[in-house]
Amino acid sequence: MGPAIVAEHLVKRFGEVLALDGVSFRVEEGEIYGLIGPNGAGKTTALRIVGTVIRPTSGSVRVFGVDVVREASRVREMISYLPEEAGAYPNLSGLEYLRFMASFYRGEGRDVEAMVEEGVRISGLGERLRDRVKGYSKGMKRRLLVARTLMVRPRLAIMDEPTAGLDVVHALHIRRTIRGYAEEEGTTILLSSHNMLEVEFLCDRVALINRGRIVAEGTPEELKEEYGAENLEEVFVEATRVV
Amino acid sequence: MSNSLRVLILKELRELLRDPKILVGMVLMPVLILPLMGGAISVSQRAVERELAHASIGVWDRDGSEVSSSLVGFLRYVNQTVILISAGNVSEAVGRLLETNSSILLEIPEGYGENISRGLRGVLHVYVVLKSLGIAETGKGSVVEQVVSTYGYALSLEKIQALLQEANVTGVEPAAVYSPLSVEYSSVVRGRVVDVPPESIFGLMMSQGIMLPVTSMILLTFAMSIAATSIAVEKEEKTLETLVTLPVGRLTILAGKLAGSILVAVAGAVAYMVGFGYYMTTAFGFVPSEMMNVDLRDLGLSMGPGGLLLLGATMFVTLVSGLALALSIAVFTDSVRGAQSLVGFLNIPIMVPMIILMFTDLGMLPLPLQAVLYAIPYTHTILASKAVFMGDYFVVLRSILYITLFTLATLYIAAKIFTSERIITARPRTWKITLRRRR
Repeated sequence: MGPAIVAEHLVKRFGEVLALDGVSFRVEEGEIYGLIGPNGAGKTTALRIVGTVIRPTSGSVRVFGVDVVREASRVREMISYLPEEAGAYPNLSGLEYLRFMASFYRGEGRDVEAMVEEGVRISGLGERLRDRVKGYSKGMKRRLLVARTLMVRPRLAIMDEPTAGLDVVHALHIRRTIRGYAEEEGTTILLSSHNMLEVEFLCDRVALINRGRIVAEGTPEELKEEYGAENLEEVFVEATRVV
Repeated sequence: MSNSLRVLILKELRELLRDPKILVGMVLMPVLILPLMGGAISVSQRAVERELAHASIGVWDRDGSEVSSSLVGFLRYVNQTVILISAGNVSEAVGRLLETNSSILLEIPEGYGENISRGLRGVLHVYVVLKSLGIAETGKGSVVEQVVSTYGYALSLEKIQALLQEANVTGVEPAAVYSPLSVEYSSVVRGRVVDVPPESIFGLMMSQGIMLPVTSMILLTFAMSIAATSIAVEKEEKTLETLVTLPVGRLTILAGKLAGSILVAVAGAVAYMVGFGYYMTTAFGFVPSEMMNVDLRDLGLSMGPGGLLLLGATMFVTLVSGLALALSIAVFTDSVRGAQSLVGFLNIPIMVPMIILMFTDLGMLPLPLQAVLYAIPYTHTILASKAVFMGDYFVVLRSILYITLFTLATLYIAAKIFTSERIITARPRTWKITLRRRR
């Protein structure tokens, strides 16, 4: 299997602010890859570039060999992106929202209703999916959005802070869903988090990012061994101290 | 229509029409509130009319002559309830009047009858009691005035007749002596002479020719507000970032928003027009109007299929430009409230030309003001709407061309914003004012 993502020397400036400063990483197909770091480290910017939302100031990203700037529309057919704090249309029901999203992926043997059924299964929201989204709790909304992201069976799922701000029950449900889906479907997943425990549970490999630069990369075990740390939080502290 | 565009338009319609603010504020309110307002005006106006028609009049006849009795008799003859009041002075007379339910006092001073008999002017005095200072009270004085002037006219004709007989003059009509000139008006419309007073045609044009541009402008402001809301909701609910990563072109997303907003705005405009129609018929239904006997089609002032088509084209390009402008501006806000406030400023170049052109022609204005108004594209929408009625298709086509150029510019800007990352990264700016302390 070839690489799912190859990011090389990514730089992104927002006016005076340097959000990414020469970030390079590579994600293999079928892998769950995590970008971890504190708020403002550049995780979301990197994910937005891979997700074709914004363009890099310099550098390049290829998703399954397709350039995200030059052939953004082709990339969008292969990915499914879950932004941080994303919402759903408040006046649509959960089911209508799933059907609306699935409609853009129909064709090539993919049936809208089959995708919606998959979404219903992944969300685990049952009858509540018939209610309008504006009545959902934050956890329910996030479960709906994760279901939306995965139900279309993307080759690459990009998830920005998938469990941020959720209670233990909802967070656990989402982590299990992501892990299970990646194992069952072989979907490549690129996610970001500042929750080191979550990343350790979910990710095959991680990159530690701080102030727009990747300061360490490897499997959670490799990183803990390299830095002589008991968990990824300690690895992060050590890695940023070295830099 | 592509599947993606259809799906996007359906989503827009669902989202917008299920939004209580839009459904109630733009669709249901005009249908309910305007007829209610019309009904309320009608009920109160009819009550005033009834009150005035049967108003009782207190008559303080200080003259006590046959001539003054004749006036009182005439008041009774025209169905006015007369309450005779005896008093020594004005205060006493008003006091007596206030004991009754009447609020009009007609004083016939001493010498009134003698003056009339001698061919001099008879002076009457009317006192009106003001209780609520409402609009109805303004009509109280006119009740007596109308009756008195009719009586005065009849008295004049009688006098003239008597004088003519005395002078042995025959073949002369007393009415012609009283008012020797009579003017009959005709109007010349597009070279045709029609026996209708110009006021009647102006009135009809005002009611039909002005209603159209006014409704068009209202439709435009509705649509712009809806479009701004639709993009602001996407930003507020953070759904836009997901939308732009779907396998659908960003210009299709823009087209979906434009089409959805236009459809909802049309629903709002229809509701408004239905409501306004009821308002007009209920509020002013009691007004007898000569102008209703005039048919614009007979005057060549109506719209044919070609005119209607041009009017539709004018409205379409106007709507698209307004919506593209609203969407482009709303992208720079992060909340519905912010978007509504920002788009609210766009109502100024829409409403100002509309109000000015309702009362005057552009040619009558000072040149700098004309230049400013001509530069505003929405002036041309109103000019075109009026010109269609007059059959002046050159003005209509010129207006369509100007608005189309503006529309293309606004669409280009909107497309640029939608296809760039600014659609996600644009944020409202906060202007910081720093006060420098003088040393």
